[in-house]
Amino acid sequence: MRRLSAGLTAGALLLVATACGSSDDGSSDAGASSGGVTTVKLGLIPIVDVAPLYLGQKQGFFEKQGLKLEFTPAQGGAAIVPGVVSGQFQFGFSNVTSLMVAQTNGLPVQAVANGIASTGVRGKDFNGLMVKKDSPVKSPKQLEGKKVAINTLKNINETAVRQAVRKAGGDPDKVELVEMAFDQMPAALDQGQIDAACVVEPATATIRSQGGREIASPLVDVAPEVTVAMYFTSTQYAQQHPDVVKKFQDATAESLAYAEAHPDEARQIVTTYTKIPASVLEQVILPKWPSEPNRASIEALMKLGEEDGLFKKTPDLDALLP
Amino acid sequence: MRGGNVVLGAAGLAAFLALGEAVPRLGLVKEAYFPPTSRIAAALVDEVADAAFWSALGDTLTGWALGLAIASCAGVVVGVVVSIVPYLRDATASTIEFLRPIPSVALIPLAVLLYGTELKSVLLLVVYASFWQVLIQTLYGVQDVDPVAEETARSYGLGTWARVRHVLWPTALPYVMTGVRLAAAVALILAITTELVIGAPGLGRQIAVAQTSQAVPEMYALIVVAGLLGLLVNVGARTVERRALAWHQSVRGEVAV
Repeated sequence: MRRLSAGLTAGALLLVATACGSSDDGSSDAGASSGGVTTVKLGLIPIVDVAPLYLGQKQGFFEKQGLKLEFTPAQGGAAIVPGVVSGQFQFGFSNVTSLMVAQTNGLPVQAVANGIASTGVRGKDFNGLMVKKDSPVKSPKQLEGKKVAINTLKNINETAVRQAVRKAGGDPDKVELVEMAFDQMPAALDQGQIDAACVVEPATATIRSQGGREIASPLVDVAPEVTVAMYFTSTQYAQQHPDVVKKFQDATAESLAYAEAHPDEARQIVTTYTKIPASVLEQVILPKWPSEPNRASIEALMKLGEEDGLFKKTPDLDALLP
Repeated sequence: MRGGNVVLGAAGLAAFLALGEAVPRLGLVKEAYFPPTSRIAAALVDEVADAAFWSALGDTLTGWALGLAIASCAGVVVGVVVSIVPYLRDATASTIEFLRPIPSVALIPLAVLLYGTELKSVLLLVVYASFWQVLIQTLYGVQDVDPVAEETARSYGLGTWARVRHVLWPTALPYVMTGVRLAAAVALILAITTELVIGAPGLGRQIAVAQTSQAVPEMYALIVVAGLLGLLVNVGARTVERRALAWHQSVRGEVAV
């Protein structure tokens, strides 16, 4: 018994020591360069949208600039903005409404490169407002008094759904928006817990395969080819390392162009960091990956967001955008 | 008796698995959202063949073991110190009761801010949740010390350390072991939850990736793995407890005089 307790204590102390040891080589030194290669941490959500950067890393576009990306998948994106602001990540991936909200809340964020854009083709966008097969709802106007699921309240999809209802001649205030994770929407729609869902791929593909109908392409209602998400950094990092930011911008632009030109390779690389079944992946509608953000569309998102009361004050797009 | 228990346990498990197969097959729930046992098993076989699965499992176990070790050591040390230093127990009681019920998950934003999506975030939440289990049990254990034994040791001239070692520790150990066993389960839950919510590497992140990928059988396969881990952790903790307390009447099964 004495030997056992001594052994246990010793083992535990050893473990504590290891814990302390491994915590020293923390993240603060990430972004430092060694041998001419700068390693930067990129916080992102492991979804189809970020395929170009995985592809760009594979094709050596970042290596050419002397950069090495360390992908740090974070769930739901909630961890990304604080992670970038606190310096855990040098760059992050976020939708533009979240970035505007962060900026108006006084967080020092700055978009540096384009992320994704909607396809701008009605009925053929990666984002859709969908109802189940036998739903009587034919138009967003009929959603008045009905329950519509979006992934995050007071964010980009709230803007988009309200605009879709508005454009169809309905009153967005009469639509009940509920918060739900994208991946749960197909089941909830099928069970009748919600009347409509604003989904993105691959959940859109799942709903389509069950015979669900798309009654609107909300992002198309906001503007043609909306810049939905961008890569960003913190203001401090942008000031201290303008060279790294420049290299990241160039490599990202090249990656986006490559992915846009090689959709099959983009689809292929998605299988390396997600578990999307091959049968679903074939059906997935890819977003657009233009190299430059579409400022007019971001202004439209901002105006609608202000109308819907998303921001505490008017976002400063000149400071936010590259 | 023991053999009968095993048979009953196996029968219960078999019935549960059969139910899992039958419910979706009969169309009570849709197969797309709740796949039958056989499809989950097939997905599990695929997962086990994947190197990413094993590294995720390793990450989860690392977070669990480190977190549990830190929490157990800290819980025991703090518990003993708080108990034997005069007035400290009264001074800290309300603070402990205030901090203890705070759900560890509520500290996720803090963890993300401090450590991003790394192992350290997992450790912060695991240690926070399991520390209280050990601490509270240690406090109760120390309180349970027989005053007569304590006075006897004192009158024989045993110093503070000797009394902690020979009087306090044997009394408190059964409580501490209960605390560690509870903490082991809590630590596993928290390790996987943290990975799932913030995306720290590990089983939880794999579950989240499967969720967002609409890969339902894979998701359930990973959940089954989490359940199996919990089972192993519980069996392991009970074994350690029995070993460490082999001398104690609760384990010896003799009637105390």
